[in-house]
Parts: sequence; structure tokens; C-alpha cells
Amino acid sequence: MSSSHPASSSPWSHGPLPSNVIVGDNTLITAEYAFRRFQSREPGALRIGAHCTMDGVHFAIGAEGRVGIGDYCYFTNVILLCELELQIGSYVAIGWNTTIADSDFHPLDPAQRIADAVACSPLGASRARPAIPRRAVLIEDDVWIGPCATILKGVRLGAGCRVQAGSLVTRDVPAGASVGGNPAHPLEGRDDGGEGPSPSAGGKPATDAP
Amino acid sequence: MNPDRTLEGDWHPGRVPENVTLEEGAYLETTYSLLLCRSVEPDAMRIGKGTSIYLGTMFDLGPGGRVHIGRCTLINGARIQCEASVEIGDFCLISWNVLIMDCERLATDPVARRAALSLVSSRPGRLLERQVPGRPVRIRQNVWLGFDCCVLPGVEIGEGSVVGARSVVTRDVPPYTVVVGNPARPVRILEPGGPVPPEILALVAS
Repeated sequence: MSSSHPASSSPWSHGPLPSNVIVGDNTLITAEYAFRRFQSREPGALRIGAHCTMDGVHFAIGAEGRVGIGDYCYFTNVILLCELELQIGSYVAIGWNTTIADSDFHPLDPAQRIADAVACSPLGASRARPAIPRRAVLIEDDVWIGPCATILKGVRLGAGCRVQAGSLVTRDVPAGASVGGNPAHPLEGRDDGGEGPSPSAGGKPATDAP
Repeated sequence: MNPDRTLEGDWHPGRVPENVTLEEGAYLETTYSLLLCRSVEPDAMRIGKGTSIYLGTMFDLGPGGRVHIGRCTLINGARIQCEASVEIGDFCLISWNVLIMDCERLATDPVARRAALSLVSSRPGRLLERQVPGRPVRIRQNVWLGFDCCVLPGVEIGEGSVVGARSVVTRDVPPYTVVVGNPARPVRILEPGGPVPPEILALVAS
């Protein structure tokens, strides 16, 4: 995160920003629904750097969620689901209809899930929900994420890596790598989905410079 | 389409650009679908006879993009991201949240991406310009794309084929083949139905 300071003109044209949102210079947030599911009570819950374009982004940030976004980021209709922490670097581009989540939102254990279903129902208004695992998502500088991708909890996307459109990423991606598929695997210098993991693919830079 | 190029009953106050042709009996629900169409090609878009394009569909065309859609095709809320050419044949069924893209726009080299991202925030409308050439996408006639699926640059989907819901098509699909998964792989071969019946050909003939 760098150069987060209040914008001189309003970055969002649908009313005042929540007071715990800090937006840098020349950053633009579009869509009326941007903060419809913004519930964080953390101070500085959402910090966005300068010169970013947040076009149609859903900032669905839970009560304890914190999101940091660097400078010169470009997101189109991205859904950010945060219960703990999303840290996104600078020069990150994310395509249409991509979802990033740092929680599964419900427990895995069947008995716990029954307790959660009841707590979520109108009948269980006074019951506390069970603890749900959350793990921060870290997206480093210069990452490109294609449209319709999904990034799940605990994932770290290394600097400059590329995530193919439609991928579902469940594990860390090394810096400079290119991944695709569900679950996402390294792509062998091709852009076509590959045939699954290959022994040499970890950490190999995927930039096909001439 | 009305003589002033507005659409009957359109909630969005837009017009159909001169380089977009709606053939007889083609239905475009709203001009909002053309909001991101910035192609300057003379024949940028053609929507064939009897084709219907419903709410939620977005034609995101760069300056050199061309999208030509055949006859009696149904597009029910897809995003078509085009810098070169997307061709869709007759009698296709395209479901909701489908992505068809012929270009990723940003370069694979992170240094080059930085240059584009530095520029875009000072550009009116903040639309990305392509850094890499588009690779044309062809979807032949009688293709069915299930919901939430993605068709990636350079792909050709053969006549009569089916793409399962949420699949990602990364390479060509032969005719009359069902593909599923991410990356999509063939799971079934379909029986070609024979030629299109004459009464249907007569119905769609211009």
C-alpha cells in the first residue's frame, strides 16, 4: 500500500463513502451497489491507492474484514468477499466477473454446519454462528487475473503472475508463473489450459518474451 | 428498430450505432448492451434475422472489433469481449454469464502491462486499449454454450457442439462434440441431425 490519501473530488458518485474507506487521488469507483454489502467496522477497513479504476466492484467486506489495494489497479465487475484480509498490490488487473474470497463462509464439519444453518435462519436470530476458517489472500504487484476466475482463501499470487480466464485458484502461484484450469495448474508456456501439472512448471516465468 | 435508431420499449436512452445492423426480425432488448461497443469498423456488428439478444448481454468491442451473429440465435446475457472478430453462427443457444473473448487486451509481460495501467486512469471512460492482437473466435451453427462458460481467444467451436455449464474452452472443439470441464475436454459425440429442414431454411431466408 502506498500514497493513500483522501481524493480531492469524490471518487464515487452515489453518496458519501463509508467513513472507514480511504481512497487515493484519481481513483474512481462506479456502481451504486459498490458498498451494498460493506459491513466492516474496522478503522481504515478499505484502503485504495491512487489512479485505480474500480468499475462495478462489489466490496462485500464483513464486520472484521480489511482490504488494501495499491495504485494503478484496474478491476471490472470484481466481487471481493472479505471476512479477514485481502491485500492487493499495485498494477493489478482483474477481469469481469472474477470472485476473490478469504473465507468459505460456512464450516466444513456437518454438525457445525447445522448449527450455522440455524444461526443464519430467522429462527436462530439470537444464536452465535460457529467459528469459520478465514485465511488472508495476498495478491502481489503486476498480477493479471482473467475474467470469470475464482481465487480462494489463503492463496498468495506472486508478483507478475497470470491467472487464465475461468480458472479456480486454490494454491499459491509463484511469481511470474501462468496458471489455468480448475483447480488451476501451471500452464506450460501455452495459453490453452494445459494438461495438468508438469514437473518443471513451478516458479517458471511465463512471460513469452521473444 | 425505430427510424431514429432507438429501440421500442428500451429503458436505456441509447441508439443503435450506424455500424450495427439488425436484420429483419432480430430482437435487441436494450441499447445498454451496446454501451461498450466502440468499434469504428464500417460493419462492426450484425445481428441476423430472428436472433434475440436479451438483457445482461454486453458487447465490449474495441475500435477494430467485429461481431457477426447468424440467424435464429439466442443470446441470454453473455459478455462478448472483442478486439478482432467473433463470429457466431445460425441456431446457436448461448446462456447467461457466458464469456466469449478474442483478446486478453493486456500484454503478457508485466512491464508492458504497467504502461497500459498507468495510462488508463487518465483516459476518459477509462477503457483499456488492447496491447496484443486479437485472435478470432468462431462459433459455428447449432452450438449450445451452457451457463457461466468461457470461450478463450483463438477458439473455434464446430457445428452442432455443446459446451457444458461452467466449462472453459481453451482449444478448438470438433463438430458434434460435447465438451465439459476446465479446461474443457470431449466427453461425448453427438449424431449429426442432417441438413436443416427446408421449411426452416425458408423461414430464415432473407
